[in-house]
Amino acid sequence: MALALEMKGITKYFPSSDVLANNNVDFTVEAGEVHALVGENGAGKTTLMNILYGLVKPDSGEIFLDGNKVSIGHPDDAIRLGIGMVHQHFKLVPSFTVAQNIMLGIEPSTFGVLRQRDENEAVARLAEQYGLPVDPTAHVRDLPVGMQQRVEILKVLQREAKILILDEPTAVLTPQEVGELIRIVRNLSKLGYTIIFITHKLVEVMHVADRVSVMRGGRMMGTKKVSDTSIPELARMMVGREVILQLEKPEARPGEVVFEAKDVTVASASGVPAVLNLSLQVREGEILGVAGVSGNGQTELVEAIAGMRPLDGGKLYFLGKEINRLDVYQRRHLGMAHIPEDRIQVGLNLEANLDENLIVSRYKLPRFNRMGFLLRRAIRDFSASIIEKFSIAGARPGGSIATLSGGNMQKVVVGRELSGNPKFIIANQPTRGLDVGSIEFVHQTLLDARAEGAGILLVSVELDEIMSLSDRIVVLYRGQIQGELDAATATEEEIGILMAGGTLQETARSMKAAAS
Amino acid sequence: MGNFTDILTFQLLNSGIRLATPIILAALGGALCNRAGVLNLALEGKMLLGAFLAIVVAFYVGNTYIGIVIAMMAGGLLGLLFAFLYHRYEVDLIILAIALNMLILELTVYFMRVLFGQVGSWSDPSIQRVPDIQIPVLKNIPVLGDILNGYNFIVYFSWFAAIALYFILFHTKFGRHVRAVGENKEAAETVGINSRRVQTFALVISGMLAAMGGAFLSVGHLKLFTRNMSNGRGWTAITAALFGFNHPIATFFTGLFFGFADAFAVRIQNVTDLPPNLAQLIPHFTTLVVLVLVALREKVGQMLARRRFQTQLQSPQTSPEGATSPASGTD
Amino acid sequence: MDKELRQRIFDAILVPVLAVLSGLLVAAILVLFTDTPPLQAYRTLFSSGFGCHELTRCAFFTTLERATPLILTGLSAVIAFRSGIFSIGQEGQMLMGSIIAAWLGYAIALPPVIHPIFIMLVAMAAGAAYGWLPGVLKVKLGVNEIISTIVMNSIAILFIEYVVNFPLRADRGSVARSPTILESAQLATFLPGSKWGVGFVIAIGVAVITLIYLWRLTPGYEQRMAGQSLRFALFGGIPSDRAAIRAMLLSGAVSGLAGAIEVLGVHHRILQGFSVGLGFDGLSVAILGQSHPVGVVIVAILFAGVRLGAQLGLQIQEGIPRELGGSIIALMILFVAARKLYQDNIDAIRRFIDRVRGRDSVGEKA
Repeated sequence: MALALEMKGITKYFPSSDVLANNNVDFTVEAGEVHALVGENGAGKTTLMNILYGLVKPDSGEIFLDGNKVSIGHPDDAIRLGIGMVHQHFKLVPSFTVAQNIMLGIEPSTFGVLRQRDENEAVARLAEQYGLPVDPTAHVRDLPVGMQQRVEILKVLQREAKILILDEPTAVLTPQEVGELIRIVRNLSKLGYTIIFITHKLVEVMHVADRVSVMRGGRMMGTKKVSDTSIPELARMMVGREVILQLEKPEARPGEVVFEAKDVTVASASGVPAVLNLSLQVREGEILGVAGVSGNGQTELVEAIAGMRPLDGGKLYFLGKEINRLDVYQRRHLGMAHIPEDRIQVGLNLEANLDENLIVSRYKLPRFNRMGFLLRRAIRDFSASIIEKFSIAGARPGGSIATLSGGNMQKVVVGRELSGNPKFIIANQPTRGLDVGSIEFVHQTLLDARAEGAGILLVSVELDEIMSLSDRIVVLYRGQIQGELDAATATEEEIGILMAGGTLQETARSMKAAAS
Repeated sequence: MGNFTDILTFQLLNSGIRLATPIILAALGGALCNRAGVLNLALEGKMLLGAFLAIVVAFYVGNTYIGIVIAMMAGGLLGLLFAFLYHRYEVDLIILAIALNMLILELTVYFMRVLFGQVGSWSDPSIQRVPDIQIPVLKNIPVLGDILNGYNFIVYFSWFAAIALYFILFHTKFGRHVRAVGENKEAAETVGINSRRVQTFALVISGMLAAMGGAFLSVGHLKLFTRNMSNGRGWTAITAALFGFNHPIATFFTGLFFGFADAFAVRIQNVTDLPPNLAQLIPHFTTLVVLVLVALREKVGQMLARRRFQTQLQSPQTSPEGATSPASGTD
Repeated sequence: MDKELRQRIFDAILVPVLAVLSGLLVAAILVLFTDTPPLQAYRTLFSSGFGCHELTRCAFFTTLERATPLILTGLSAVIAFRSGIFSIGQEGQMLMGSIIAAWLGYAIALPPVIHPIFIMLVAMAAGAAYGWLPGVLKVKLGVNEIISTIVMNSIAILFIEYVVNFPLRADRGSVARSPTILESAQLATFLPGSKWGVGFVIAIGVAVITLIYLWRLTPGYEQRMAGQSLRFALFGGIPSDRAAIRAMLLSGAVSGLAGAIEVLGVHHRILQGFSVGLGFDGLSVAILGQSHPVGVVIVAILFAGVRLGAQLGLQIQEGIPRELGGSIIALMILFVAARKLYQDNIDAIRRFIDRVRGRDSVGEKA
């Protein structure tokens, strides 16, 4: 088969974050195939695709389309060359109709005056042509996510793209919508379109793709025909992270229940329930892992437990006491710690200095505060002790934190949260975007806290993180617990299927299928 | 007796429409900027600049219309400067607007002194006010003619501008791009729309409209310039745009509402012995109340959404599946 | 560590200093419209604003007197800014303080020292109340504080005109004014013939208190954290709503105090045209003073001197309208807004110096 796309020796280094995102990557896609590009977060998939789409300029490397060398400096170039991208975060105008969004920038007009009827008809025709029914006059803000994605795909098709890049297209979809998407993708491939399907969900790869390329740590690990490979093999290629295996995890000695959520319901910003009738318990000295695709209610659940978001139903108990009415500070005061998923916007205040960051949620303690006056010396000493204990490179008491590296910023957060010997720790994506060394450090710190008897709620979309740290695992799906597993016996595939909305029975079946 | 009250009512309507004109013009500009996603808090200054330049140029050139055109060009240039500083140097638009409002307030008085040796207000007998227009058929229609006839072209232009802006925003390709940029800049840029050009256009047009509103004050309504002649109308205009959902037609009517509040204040002064300063408070209080109403409107909307969500939860037949699927929630 | 502190101070004052210079440079163009050469105009401006030939006729003392309300309204703006509220309401809050002071100054009789203290406290309460409203509207309903405070300024300006014309009017003179306040209520001055007095000391005291409040006290900490990052405040359990309302109360109180001191120490009454924009200037003072109490004191004195120099020097000696002073101030703020204009160039200069010195930037990074 002819090559539709060939990327050769692509290298990209980001000096600001000191990350070698693409390291001499070769990537080829055949015309008319569905090619899955898989890898963990930070493996370099998105960077590679952004280079192809002209959003990022590579340091070196060449791109060939249908055998001709091309230079793509801007998305306009990519569009002209027939490359279209459906971004993970849709680029739609909510108050516009479907047709208005699809035709944005290429509206039919007479002397600048819109021909709205032509527009709607063109979109209706387009939708029919590809078997993707949409209502051209519906407002995008009223559409479910799967429908919005369809609008994005039509937008790309309307611009006559031949190569479609779908960036994590299933991350936000329900299982039914995923099934529908896979059908659409297969159909487009039949019509001669070339599709690059970015994902980290291996079950989907097996369903949708002809071939699959695996990236890890900025390198291309290899390309396989889907018919010649299996989920376990791909998982090995994809994960293969040695760090995790080095962790020494002593036997758990769970004690009393420190935290309990009972029938908790939380509304999201749009008023749709983000968490629905969810119950869970965390015991002393254990780590409860909450796995799930992002956007399944993790943020809302964590914020509700921490007191940052009101509950719409249910009760929270901490150390046997109901805490629904306590505010964030009071909950912290009782011994709750919180490592938030966004350290830069939420966990830290980059405009303030290290000391001011470290005393948040404990600035009223007599240790740091006498009759309203902040005790500078005590705060400074505390700051120095945290820097030393967690060896935070580049930090000094009273100094700026904005200049610290990501790993050291996270050490500031973790150091602050764990310094008061908390009884219950919420760790939401505690290693997101960190380098391997920092990940290891955070993991070890959490295990130490567990050894000292803290109960830990670990929320993560990284399966290997969940699997290597947790004692028990629950999988969150559409705001509910889809299933609970014992970490000692759970497999990646089992969790993966639950994450995709499957059941434990289905899990068992797929295991058999994968094995055969 | 009946005739007498009729005349008073028409007078009130007429002066309301006149006083609304500068607010409407500036508010349309503000609405356009909001639609394009750029905050324009310098309407006040641009209006004052327009008022000053229109009358000064009219005096030197001897033609009021040229004065108005020059004032509008200056307002547009100021908008261009705004856009340039914003896009090239990422200036803080709020501080820039505050500085500009203050600079223009000082400069207009500075030049009033340098050029004419006046401090508080200045006028010259040679200056011609923009003449009122008698519309042939309309003027003979009883009630309608009394209300709609006999204003100068700036008043009629403000009506036209509201309709034109509505047409541009909602029926032209360019207008749709303006709205796309204001609502989701990234989405617009990924399909090749030049967001800078769109925002520059909005700032230039709003500068011209605000300046024209100012010109109406100095050579359209009266024929003199006074210190701080815009007197907060630029801020009222911003409120009018918010009140009108940044929709040109709705903004026209909210602007009209503020004009009537102004006219009512003047009227109260004439027919009662309420002290003038207190009567002048009426439009400002109105603005404050409207601001609160605009905010309440959003707050109540959020509260209702939350209430709906909670009752929906309590209804027994709600299955988890049904409640979690956005499709069933919105259909 | 010392070096780092020096670097930080250098960075903090660099933009304001450049803005001041650029403002003066551009304003020179305005002077060209008059018959006076710009250099001479500036010499006159600064010698009449900051000069001091003999102790009894010292312009600089008058500048300090004029700086007093600017320091206070500037601090008022700083307190609001530092909690993330862009309040422009200093003018209105100040006028409310003035009205109260002018009324209580003659309407009640109290022993000396106690009288002004009592008046200042009540004026602060009035200013605080006037600041509270936009604060609550912002926090509870999300009403844009810029617009609401601007409107409330207009209301206060009209209200004080009404008050001096009607309820508090003292006589049938051509300029409406309230009665002179009792001597017991007046603030002492340092020198005969000058109004520079206790008010200035109070203003400096408030600057010191503001400094301590914002950086050493719990509520100040809460305010700054909430002002810098609302999400961080929410995460850390800082009551940001309460902090914002408290900030507006304090901000209003300080502006109200400014109004009281203007009445008790300078005019001894309120009169028609009392609102001359001291609150608006305070806002500019805070912006150019980098929202820091020390910067506010320095910039307030600078602005007061420029205004005074423009009035006494330029207008009277050179015949140049005093509005040039205000224009200079506005231009300076304009250049603060465009700070990136300098930063780009500063970086370019730094790179150039590095190149000249022959530093290997790659080697430095490694």
